[in-house]
Amino acid sequence: MSDHTTFEQLVLPHLDAAYNLARWLARDTHDAEDVVQDACIRALKYAGSLHGSDARAWFLTIVRNAFYDWLGRNRPVEIVHEDDEKIAARIDPSSPNPEHEALRRAEMYSLSDAIEALPLQYREVLVLRELEEMSYKEIARVADIPIGTVMSRLARARALLQRSPMLQAIGGQATGSER
Amino acid sequence: MNCADASTLLSAYTDGETTMLQGHSVKRHLASCPNCAGAYDDMLALRARLRTQAPRHAAPPELRARVLATLDAVRASTPPPARPRVRSERWRWLSGGAFAGCAATALAWFVGTAVIDWRANEDLALEAVTMHVHATLGNQQIQVASSDRHTVKPWLSARLDYSPPVRDFAQDGFPLVGGRIDYLDRHPVATLVYRVRNHTIDVYVRPETATRATPLALRTIRGFNVAHATGSGMDWLAVSDVNADELTAFVQKVARESGMP
Repeated sequence: MSDHTTFEQLVLPHLDAAYNLARWLARDTHDAEDVVQDACIRALKYAGSLHGSDARAWFLTIVRNAFYDWLGRNRPVEIVHEDDEKIAARIDPSSPNPEHEALRRAEMYSLSDAIEALPLQYREVLVLRELEEMSYKEIARVADIPIGTVMSRLARARALLQRSPMLQAIGGQATGSER
Repeated sequence: MNCADASTLLSAYTDGETTMLQGHSVKRHLASCPNCAGAYDDMLALRARLRTQAPRHAAPPELRARVLATLDAVRASTPPPARPRVRSERWRWLSGGAFAGCAATALAWFVGTAVIDWRANEDLALEAVTMHVHATLGNQQIQVASSDRHTVKPWLSARLDYSPPVRDFAQDGFPLVGGRIDYLDRHPVATLVYRVRNHTIDVYVRPETATRATPLALRTIRGFNVAHATGSGMDWLAVSDVNADELTAFVQKVARESGMP
C-alpha cells in the first residue's frame, strides 16, 4: 500500500475523532482545524510507519503531538502541569473569589464549559475515554503515559468534574443546549 | 476491602478496567457499603451525562475538503503509485447498479460458506470495516433515510432475496437513521444504520445458515470494533467506533429483539 492509500483508507476515516480531540484540547474551532491540518500532513508523511497497528490510536497520537507543538508556539504557559492545590482553589465553590460567584450563575454555563475548565492533562484523558470511548491501553498510547497514570488521571478528572461549580450550577437537568 | 481502597478503584471499576480480582473485591464492597455504592451511582450518572450531553465535535466539511485537497496536491507532486484496489473495483461495479451477479452467487452463498474458517472470519470482519469506512468517506452512508422500520424494511426487501427484520432502538438511545445495500462476503447484504452519541453503527444483516462457521464475537480492526451475534433467524455484524462492550451488548440486543412483533 502506498503512503497515500494508507492515509486515505486507514487514517482519514478517523478525521472526526481527530477533530473532536483537537477541538476539546484547543477549545477553539479555528485552532482545532489548524492542529488537525498539521496532524494530517504529518500523518501523510509518516503513514509508512503505521504498519498494521491501530490507525485511530496512531492518528490521535499525532494529533495530540501536533496540538502540544501548537500550544508551545502559541500559549506555552498552559502546558505547565498545575498542582492539585491550585486546581482545588480554582474549582472550590466555597472560595470567596468574585469570579466564582459568577460561575454560579447557572444559565451561563454548560457541561462543555465544565469540561473545558479542566486542566489539560485531565481533559485529554476524559475526552479520549468518554467521547472517543478508548480503552486505558489505547489512551496510554495516545497520551504517552503509563496505564496506571491513565487510571489516576481519569479518577481525578471525574472527581474534579463532580465538584465543579459549573456543573453544580447547571444541576442535574438535561438542558441539551450545548452552545 | 475498605472504603479508601474502593474509592481509589471506583473510577477504573466503572470503566471495566480493573483486574478480575480487584473488580470482584470492589463489587463485594459496594454490596455492603451504602456510601461507596452512592459514589458509584454518582460515577455512573456522570458518565451517562457526559456521553449524552457532551458534544463529540465532527470535523467541519471545509476541513475535510482542505485535507483532501492537500492529499491531492501531494499526490500530484509524486509519481502515481500502482493501486491494486480490487475491493474498490468491485464497489464501482456494484454501485453501478449491476446486481446481475446476484443470481449466480446465490449458489455460492451455500457452497462457499461451508468452508469458512478462522481466516475467512478475519477477512469478513476486515471487509465489513472496509465497507463501513467506504460508506462514511463517500457519504453513501444511507440510501434510504428513515427511522420508520415500515419504510426501511420494504426498501431493503425489494432489493434482496430475503427480508431482514428491522427495528428502531431509539428508546434505548440507538435511533435507526436508515439503511443501504452493501456487498459482503460475495453477497448483497442489508445494512442498517444506527446512531449513538454522534457515532455511527453499521449493522450488516444476513440470513443465518447452519453451514456458516460462527465468527468470533468481537474483533478490533483499524480502530473500529466489529461485534457479531445471531438471532431472529439472522446473522448480525455490527461495525463502529463506539466502545467494544456497548457494541457487543447492542448487537446482541438487536439480534434478540429485531424479530419480535
